[in-house]
Amino acid sequence: MKIKRIVFILSLILMAYLSTGCGGSKQSSEAPKSESQQPAKEVVIGYTGPLSGPAAQYGQDNFNGVDMAVNDINEAGGIDVNGQKYTFKLEKLDDMADPTQAVNNARRLRDQFKTPAIFNPVFTTIAPIMEINKESGNEFLIMAYTSTPAVDDLNNELTVSIPPPFTAYVRGFSDMAWDQGWRNAAMVITLGAYGDEWRKAFKEYWENKLGGKVTADQPANYYTETDFSSQLTAALSTKPDVLVIGGPSAPTGLVIEQARTLGYKGGFILIDQAKMDYIVDDIFGGKTDLMEGAVGVAAVADIPTQMASTFNKKYNEKYKVHNTWEAVLNYCAMKALAQAMVKAGTVEDVKAIRAAFPKVFPLNGDKNPAEYYGINSTGRMLLPGAVQIIKDGKYSEPTSYVYWPKNEDEFNKLKEIMTTPNPSKYMPLENYINR
Amino acid sequence: MAVRLFFKEKWFYLLILAFALTVPFLVPGRYFFQIIIMSCLYAMATLSMNLILGYTGQASLAHAGFFGIGAYGVGLMTKAGISFWAALPVSALLAAFIGLLIGLPTLRTRGSYFAIATLCFGVIVSIIAGSWVSLTGGYTGVVGIPKPTPIPFPVIGKLSFNSLTAQYYLVLAFLLLTLFVMHRLVFSLQGLSFMAIRNNEALADAVGINTFATKILSFVIANFFAGLSGGIYASLIGSISPSTASYMLTFNWLVYLLLGGVATLSGPIIGAFAIPVLMENLQFLEEYRLLIFGVLLIVVIIFSPRGLMGVIESVWNKSKAKNPVRKAGGEYAAEGGKPDQAI
Amino acid sequence: MDLFLQQILNGIMLGSTYAVVALGLTLVFGILHIPNFAHGHLYMLGGYVTFFFITLLGFGFWTAMISSMIILALIGILVERVVYRPLRDQPHINSFISAIGALMFLETFVVVAWGPQGQRIPNPYPNPVEIGGIILTQQRLLVIIAAIVLIVLLQLFLKKTTPGTTIEAVAQNREGAMLVGINVNRVSSMTFAISTATAAAAASLVAPIFMISPSMGALLGMKAFVIVILGGLGSVPGAIFGGYILGLIEALGGGYISADYKDVFAFGALILILAIRPTGLFGREEVG
Repeated sequence: MKIKRIVFILSLILMAYLSTGCGGSKQSSEAPKSESQQPAKEVVIGYTGPLSGPAAQYGQDNFNGVDMAVNDINEAGGIDVNGQKYTFKLEKLDDMADPTQAVNNARRLRDQFKTPAIFNPVFTTIAPIMEINKESGNEFLIMAYTSTPAVDDLNNELTVSIPPPFTAYVRGFSDMAWDQGWRNAAMVITLGAYGDEWRKAFKEYWENKLGGKVTADQPANYYTETDFSSQLTAALSTKPDVLVIGGPSAPTGLVIEQARTLGYKGGFILIDQAKMDYIVDDIFGGKTDLMEGAVGVAAVADIPTQMASTFNKKYNEKYKVHNTWEAVLNYCAMKALAQAMVKAGTVEDVKAIRAAFPKVFPLNGDKNPAEYYGINSTGRMLLPGAVQIIKDGKYSEPTSYVYWPKNEDEFNKLKEIMTTPNPSKYMPLENYINR
Repeated sequence: MAVRLFFKEKWFYLLILAFALTVPFLVPGRYFFQIIIMSCLYAMATLSMNLILGYTGQASLAHAGFFGIGAYGVGLMTKAGISFWAALPVSALLAAFIGLLIGLPTLRTRGSYFAIATLCFGVIVSIIAGSWVSLTGGYTGVVGIPKPTPIPFPVIGKLSFNSLTAQYYLVLAFLLLTLFVMHRLVFSLQGLSFMAIRNNEALADAVGINTFATKILSFVIANFFAGLSGGIYASLIGSISPSTASYMLTFNWLVYLLLGGVATLSGPIIGAFAIPVLMENLQFLEEYRLLIFGVLLIVVIIFSPRGLMGVIESVWNKSKAKNPVRKAGGEYAAEGGKPDQAI
Repeated sequence: MDLFLQQILNGIMLGSTYAVVALGLTLVFGILHIPNFAHGHLYMLGGYVTFFFITLLGFGFWTAMISSMIILALIGILVERVVYRPLRDQPHINSFISAIGALMFLETFVVVAWGPQGQRIPNPYPNPVEIGGIILTQQRLLVIIAAIVLIVLLQLFLKKTTPGTTIEAVAQNREGAMLVGINVNRVSSMTFAISTATAAAAASLVAPIFMISPSMGALLGMKAFVIVILGGLGSVPGAIFGGYILGLIEALGGGYISADYKDVFAFGALILILAIRPTGLFGREEVG
C-alpha cells in the first residue's frame, strides 16, 4: 500500500518539477519573440538577498541600488556591446539570508535566466554561492556586498566585492577619534559575524598601534535585544572618552539614546554597519543633539561627489525610504558591471567580463554617486572609506581614508585623479597594499 | 487481497529504486537538481525526526541543533584534513552522544515540557555556534569546507563528488540507508514499543517496557541521523554558520513532517520534497508566502492532523469501502494507530 | 555600589516586562493547558497596534495603550477560537504546531502591514529622574510602576471577582466546573483575552523606550515559557517572581559576566531544573 503511495506521490512531484521546468523554459522562449520587434536584447541580472525576516530592510536597500542603476541604464538606451544594443532586466529572489535558499536562488537565476551576474549582500550566503559559481558552462559573477576581509581571503576569481573592507573604517574612525584627544574607549558592539571582527580589529589597532586603552568590552546582541542599559552601565562605569558602538542602525540609535539617558556626555564611534544619517533622520527626527561627537561613515548626502545629492533626492522620491550606502554602492557596482560588459565585448562570457573590470575604472563622481578608483586582484572594488564626525550639531566635511596604495607616491598619483576636493588621508592596510 | 499483494512484490521496490536512479537524467536543470539534493538531505532529517516525534510521541524540537552538531563536526574535521568518510560517522556519533546526554535529563519530562526543553537546547546550540569564536568561527561560520573525499575504485579510478550527479547519488544512498534503518526499526518489536509509548506511556510501562530506555534509544537514533544529514549538508553546501542549527530549520522539518504525514515512512519524504517545491513556486508571492503558509499549517493540523498521507489514506479507504476486500489491521498498527491518535 | 544599584534597577525594569508577559502566558498555558507558542508574537502585535493608534490616529499614549489592549483582547479571543479550540482534545504537539502557524502568520502580517524595519513610538516621558545617584527616565520608572499596578489588578480580578474565580475553578477541575454550570468555552475566551491584553500592555509600556520590530516577540515568547515552567505551571506568583529574577539575572550577568552566553544560562537552567524536577519547580501535575 505504502509503496504505491510513494510511487504516486513521487510521480506527482516529478510532474510538478517538470511543469515548473517548462514554465522556466517558456519564459526564455518568449524573449526572442520580442527581440524581432525591438532591436535591443535583454540581459537578466540576478539578485538574491533577505527580502523578508529581520534583515529584510537591508536586503531591500541593496536591491534598490541595483534596481535604480538598471532603470537608469535602460532609460539611457541600454549598453552597446559590439554594435548590439542590450537592456537589463533585474530578477529578484528572497533567500531570507538562508544559505540553502540562497544557493537554490542562485541556481535558479543561472538556470532559468542565464544571468551572468548575481548580487548578494550577506557574507554567510555569499560563501556557499561561491561554491557553485565556477562550474564549467554555468559560471556567473557574484557581486558581493560585504566588507569582511574573509571574502578576500576566499579569493574567488569570479567575485566582485563592492564596499571597502571594514578594517579601513576601523583605521579611519580610530584616527579621527584619536585626533579629538580621546584615549579611553569602551566597546558596546553587537554580537554577530561583523561585530566580532570589529571588536577584535578595533582593540588591536587602538591599543597596539595608537597606544590608547580599551576600558571595557561589553558586547550586546543588537538583533535580539532592546535594552542595553546593563551593558552600557558597566561600560560607562569605566569613564571612557569614547564609546564604540554599533550594529544595525535602528538599535544603534537606541543605544545612543540609552547612553545619553545614563548621563554619558562623551563621543561615539559607530561601527560602519550603523549609519549616522539614518539614525539622525529616521530615529531622532533630524536632531543631532544626542549624536554630538559621533564618528561614523559619512552621510549619504555628503558623499563627496557631484552626483551624490541628485542621486539622494531621486532615490528618496522613488523608493520613499532613506537612502543608504548599500543603495549607493550597489548602484555604482551595477554601472561598473554594465561597463565591464561593454569593454569585454560580451554579455555572456563571465570570465571575460570579470577580466574587463579593471578597464572600467575610475568610475567618476559626475555620473556615479560614489567614486571608485580600481579593483584589486581579489576582486574588491577600490573606494576610500569616507568618515565624518558630528561637531557642534553639524556634520564635518568628510575625510576619505585611502587604504590600498603601496606608498605615498601612489597615493599622490591617486589624489590627482580624484575629482573631489575633500581631505583625504593615506592609511595603508597591510592586507590590501599588495593585492 | 490480490491488489495488496501485487504492491508488496519486490519488483515494485526495484521500480522505485530505478526511478530514483534515473532522476539525474530526468531533471531539467541544475536548479531542480539542487532542490532534489537538498530535499533528500532534509528528507533524512525529517525521517529521523519522525522516529522520535511521530513514532515515539516525544516532540523533540532540538533536531536542527543535532543537525548543526553534525554539520560543524564534519566542517571542522574535514577542514583540519581528516577524511570525510571518517569525519562523517564521528560527527553523527557525536550528535548521538550529545543526544544521549541531553536525553537523560529531558526525556524524564513529558509533553510540552519536553518540547520546550529541547527547543531551549536547540537555541543553546546555535548560540554556542555563534559565540565560541575560536572553534566555530562565530557568526561568520566555517567556510571553504571540502567536498566529500573522493573514493578510489579499482579500474574506473576515483569517484569524486564535484558533480551534482555524484552528489545526488551520495545523498540518495544515505536517504535509502536512513529509510532502510527506519523501516527495519519501525516494523520490529522495538518499533512496537516506541509506538506503545506514544499511544499510552503508563500502559507501556505496565506491560514491562522500560519506557525511559526506549525513549532514550529512539532519541539517540534520531539524533544520529540528524547529525549524519547535517554532516553531508556541510560538505555539499561548503560553508556553515549558526543558522545551520537554527530552530527555524526544526520548524521547517516539522512542517514537512506534518503536512506529509506523521508516523508514516512515506510522509516525511513526501513532505520534504513537496513543500520546498511548493515554496519555490510561490516565490513570486514574496512576503505573502509565509502568510499563506501559516494559515495552511493551522488548517491542516485542524482538519487533517495526519497530513497529506492522512488525506490519501482516507480517500483510499473510502474507495476501498465499496470493495469487499478490507484492509488488514496489521498495517494500521504499524502505520501509526488510529488517525486521531496520530501522536 | 552605584553601578550595582543601577544594574539592579535595569534588571527590575527588564523583569517587569518579563513578569507581565509570563503572567499572561501562565494563565493560558498553566490554566487552560494551551501551549500558546504565539504569545510573544501577540505581544509584538500589541506594540504595533499601539504604534498604529499613536502615529496614524494621533491618540495619546494612554488612550492608545488601552485601545491596543482592547483590540488585542479581541484578537486573543479570535486566536483561541480559531487556532486552539478545535484542537482542545488532541495531543499538545498539535496545538504547538498550530501555534507555529499562527506565529508565522502574525509576524508576516506585521511585516506586510508596517514593513520589516523597526519603528519608534515617541517617548511621552523622556525626562531623566535621579534617585540617590542612579539615573533613569520617567518612562522606565513608569514601566516598573505600571507593571506592579497591572499585576495587583490582575490578582484582585482572579481572587475577588466572580469571572476571575471561574478561571480558577476551571483550572482546578474542568468537569466539575462544567457540572456547576460554568461555561468552559467562555472562560477559555476570557482567559485568552486577559492574557493577550496584558501582553499588549507590556509591549506598549516598553515601546517608547525600545523599539518595535516584527521579530521582537520570538525570543521573549521563549523566555516567557522558561519563566512559566520554572515558576510552576499556572502559578501566578511563580510567573511574577520568575520574571523579575530572570530580568535581574540578565542585567547582572550581561553587565558582569558575558553577554554572549547570557541566554545560554537562562535556557540551560531550564534543562537543569527539569532534569531534577520533570514537572518544573512548583509543578502541580503532568500535562500532555
